[in-house]
Amino acid sequence: MMTNLRNRVRLEIPAEHSHLGMLADCIRAMLERVPDIPDLDTTIYNIQLAAHECCANMVDHAYSGHNGLIVATLALEDRPRQFVVELQDSGSTFNLADSVEPNLEVPQIHGYGLFLMRELMDEVSYTPMPGNNRWRLVKRLD
Amino acid sequence: MELKSRKHPNLTVLALSGRFDSSESARMNAWFEEQTTANVVINLADVNFVDSSALAVMVKAMKRCRGQKGELLLCNLQQTVRVIFELTRLDKAISIYDTEAEAIKAIG
Repeated sequence: MMTNLRNRVRLEIPAEHSHLGMLADCIRAMLERVPDIPDLDTTIYNIQLAAHECCANMVDHAYSGHNGLIVATLALEDRPRQFVVELQDSGSTFNLADSVEPNLEVPQIHGYGLFLMRELMDEVSYTPMPGNNRWRLVKRLD
Repeated sequence: MELKSRKHPNLTVLALSGRFDSSESARMNAWFEEQTTANVVINLADVNFVDSSALAVMVKAMKRCRGQKGELLLCNLQQTVRVIFELTRLDKAISIYDTEAEAIKAIG
């Protein structure tokens, strides 16, 4: 895995729903610089949505409406060519085992967020640590 | 996100534009609570982003409409947005039309 420093961006975003669009803008700006991504608009949207769902989860659950920061690191990597979104919060730890897959046969009010993250990305992992919880989302670009 | 609504004799057409996401769900839920028509068509032609909170708003709206013997219909979805409805299979629960005219005609 190689990451050119020019292909890495770090953002600190207030943990508020109204600020999460900034991350989407940055994801688009980075990916539009990459040549030959198949179905670019869909790839951008899918990464934007997965990252957004993760951040919304931090706002609602890790910080539960309290002030906080989301630290986002976006990286374009070679070999394999992939886009990596790392998101960190210093709020409450999320218990992944408590999450329930939505029943897709019945329209749901809750439960699509994590499901979409997993469907739209190639890898989704979570490392809970008090004061520094980390999500890592990976999308292959070839 | 911008909201523009238009009343027809037996339905309301709501045209949205921009990001329909978690920052808008409270406002959208409130908008649906105020509606007096049982049938609502949401035109999503200018919506470029929908998240799971927006899906939740639309599922609640669908239940509200059906509770009043009406229906919630969607139209003009951008392809990237449509895929999210397909992934969650909400395209099986909520009727989606290519055009606003087709959605209005379906209500009759």
